[in-house]
Amino acid sequence: MGEIKPPTGAPGAPAQASEYLSDDPRDIGWVKQNVPCQTACPAGTNVPVYIREIIERQFGRSYETNREANVLPGVLGRICSRPCEDQCRHGWPGNGEPVAICHLKRVAADMKDAGHRITESLYSPTGKRVAIVGAGPAGVAAAHDLSLLGHDVVILEREERPGGMLRYGIPEFRLPRGTLDIELHNALRLGVQLRTGVEVGSGKGQTPVSALLHEYDAVLLATGCMAATPLPLQGEWAERDPGKELADVEYGLDFLVQMHRGEKKRVGRRVAVVGAGFTALDCARVAARLGAQEVTIHIRTAEEYIPVTQEEIFEAKREGVRIKGLRTPVGLTTDASGRLTGIEFVQNRLGGWRKGGRRQAIPIEGSEFVEPCDTLIIAIGQQTVNDFLGTKLELDRWGNVRVGEDGMTSQKGLFAAGDYVSGASTVIQAVGHGRQVAKRVDAWLMGRERRRQVVRIVPVAQPLRERAFDFIPRQHMPTAQMAERLKDGKHEVELGLDDKLAFEEAKRCYLCNLRYQIDVDRCIFCRACIEVAPRNCIKLVRGVEVQEDGAYGKLLETKEWNQVGAIWIDNNECIRCGQCFKACPVQCISISRCELTEVEV
Amino acid sequence: MAESKNARHHVVIGSGIAGSQAADTLRSREPDARVTILTLSSLLFYNRYDLPKVFRGHRDWREFLAYPAEYYKDKRIEVRRCSRVAGVDGSRRTILLEHKEEIRFDTLLVASGGRGYIPEELADFRPLMRGFSSYTEAVTAANEVPDKGHVIMLGGDMIGLDLARTLIDTRHRVTLVAGPQTFWPHEVTDQERPALIAALEKMGVEVIESHDAGGIASIEQGARGLSARRVLFNDGSEVHGDVVMPFFGLSPSVEFMLGSGTDIERGLLVNPALRTTCEGIYAAGDVCQIWSDAEKRYRFFYGWKNVRAMGDLAARNISGGDEPWVPAQDEKLHIAADGSIQSAFWEYH
Repeated sequence: MGEIKPPTGAPGAPAQASEYLSDDPRDIGWVKQNVPCQTACPAGTNVPVYIREIIERQFGRSYETNREANVLPGVLGRICSRPCEDQCRHGWPGNGEPVAICHLKRVAADMKDAGHRITESLYSPTGKRVAIVGAGPAGVAAAHDLSLLGHDVVILEREERPGGMLRYGIPEFRLPRGTLDIELHNALRLGVQLRTGVEVGSGKGQTPVSALLHEYDAVLLATGCMAATPLPLQGEWAERDPGKELADVEYGLDFLVQMHRGEKKRVGRRVAVVGAGFTALDCARVAARLGAQEVTIHIRTAEEYIPVTQEEIFEAKREGVRIKGLRTPVGLTTDASGRLTGIEFVQNRLGGWRKGGRRQAIPIEGSEFVEPCDTLIIAIGQQTVNDFLGTKLELDRWGNVRVGEDGMTSQKGLFAAGDYVSGASTVIQAVGHGRQVAKRVDAWLMGRERRRQVVRIVPVAQPLRERAFDFIPRQHMPTAQMAERLKDGKHEVELGLDDKLAFEEAKRCYLCNLRYQIDVDRCIFCRACIEVAPRNCIKLVRGVEVQEDGAYGKLLETKEWNQVGAIWIDNNECIRCGQCFKACPVQCISISRCELTEVEV
Repeated sequence: MAESKNARHHVVIGSGIAGSQAADTLRSREPDARVTILTLSSLLFYNRYDLPKVFRGHRDWREFLAYPAEYYKDKRIEVRRCSRVAGVDGSRRTILLEHKEEIRFDTLLVASGGRGYIPEELADFRPLMRGFSSYTEAVTAANEVPDKGHVIMLGGDMIGLDLARTLIDTRHRVTLVAGPQTFWPHEVTDQERPALIAALEKMGVEVIESHDAGGIASIEQGARGLSARRVLFNDGSEVHGDVVMPFFGLSPSVEFMLGSGTDIERGLLVNPALRTTCEGIYAAGDVCQIWSDAEKRYRFFYGWKNVRAMGDLAARNISGGDEPWVPAQDEKLHIAADGSIQSAFWEYH
């Protein structure tokens, strides 16, 4: 670990000759502003570094870089919701398509050596004991980190096997159980005790939370959202639950969980799925594998606005699933024997935007219509369950447990993480939150923060990219033939990028963690860099605003030479092509790699 | 006449029937305005419905142009060919072209039409199929079919069936692999379908019901000495031909409008006056879904007459009008007394 040096981000500051660590808010702010993929990742995965390691064909190192932030890279490399790709600079207007960050994560996991050695930084034992309720992604991520930090960790899991929704919610054709098992094992092998088939609750034969609080120094609830959200209907169905009353209506969550517990599931010929998330898509694709002739997903808004990846939608369609938009279910139709015959919908129009970036759907009065179907799967969301607690905790307006800044619930020593706090979210959010809360549990147990964030700054001798890389199209994921997919319902659909595709895709990354800076004292203002820049990325400025958190803000551009204070590389516009560096006749442009890391306090 | 400095700039994306009609109407109604058409095509506006003529030996692109280049000069309509739109910013009223140029507009009409839809389950076989959405595609397909050759037509929408008429007439063999999209955009009931399929067979088209054969399993290149393509079905049967052409209807070309501020479902959603949800942006033709008060839903209106009427209406509303959309053609599919299929969709002359 290097020495922390004074701030260095000021314009014209001389480039450092060797690697160093900085806690200057301008440097920390620079990374957060300029590496949008890492900032968007709830776990803070260092994306540019692991992609660069793939270019260098150091797959094991790339896997370890991933694992520093997320203990399940092989899993997330298959099923992540990819918030990083939504923010990828390569996907910004005019830049083309985002880098296939998720597929490259899988490359690191799949292509590392068979005998790959995992790196873990272990702390000395603390003698503190932590119980975690739930072995889903949040629980596992927290258990791993707390174990690293020297605590004795026990996970209590209701199901027979760990993984939570990863095992019981996501179909095998998206997430092979072999991959899941290996990564869960690696996450927990540092001494975490996993007790499966243990129900925590206040009922008979269950372990009460109060007993856990008595026995352990801290308890972390990570039970996720394990109750399906009921479908609000109108008319005769307004007060009824069709999932309980009709044999042909199921909740998507229960449908998947039961199937993954080993129950034999059946669907009718014509299946309707109501919902717009990954669970809805998974249910539809499972239904197609179970032999349904016609599978339709009905959504309230339109495909553009649903929170699943385009690739997932495309693969579902390839398997014959159809998506119909602008409709909200309002009722059901049944025959005389009580069998489902159809769903009554009302036509919608698109409304404004809801909090959280989702589109509103506004029903149009008098536009009801019926779509025939013989199975309905309801997958409109999931909720937390709190009745197992046996103790009253403060809840928020959505019924989720309320936690403070320290991750603790209203009961001392009782923490909560993942979907159990946020409501149904994504696996990467659960992993990220699990890690954050683990840090807070550690701070509470030890009476102080033991790690803090700094920026590692490494001088780079020359550009790591070529301009030609900017024109490589996004490489597509090879997928299994349809006959293979439908044979046993478990065959993995995405086959993974091969070495050649991976290398091409990795080259597309702009490596946004490279900071290009101009040394104003050495610059001769010849404009050579401006001439060769492919974008409006090099600017004449009279100053730079500084934000409240100390990070650099807006550039104050000027065209008047007598006002020019500096010639500045706008790293927000910069695509790290290196053209300016090569064109500079006086070598006043420096490159440094800036990456967030943690050091001991 | 030069445009005045304050003249409005109307941009039309797409140089098909809707776009060209709109540009013409805009010019008539606003003599001072600047009118620009952006098109991906390297050719000026040609009538897509004329494309079957390539199978009659008409290969000179000039024959297909609706108007000569002078027409655009005289009308002071600037046509920018080979211009791929990368994105539209509705709030800034700018269009970003793929080569990074920004174009400002006062009003924008999106008339980018639709491209031939290929069902996702057949996407892997795209390189082995020949489309028919443009002059280039039509010529490529025609070049691959020998004299009296065999065309395997998948889907069989009305664009394809129109081509089938020409192919039969020019002594080609046509096998139709029929499915739910056969007769698209007409909505045909289960009761009407057998008679219509029989009419096709009477026309000389050989029909395979895809569903009866278990669906298409794959499309493959034929072995040396055999036909160039073969289509394999899940029941083990197969059909051989010189070229495989997909006709599954149209898929609106709207990708470049994502993030523009306009509402999109499958197409751009517009009100009956063809206005999108973004001020100053209109849509016409195969790219838009129009709100129908009568049917209480957004729906597409296809066909040459409808598309042209939409282009005209959008232009009139852009230049101050506020008229609602009224369909310009019948949507029914008929079997005439002589047993032939009659569709308003084929009436384009």
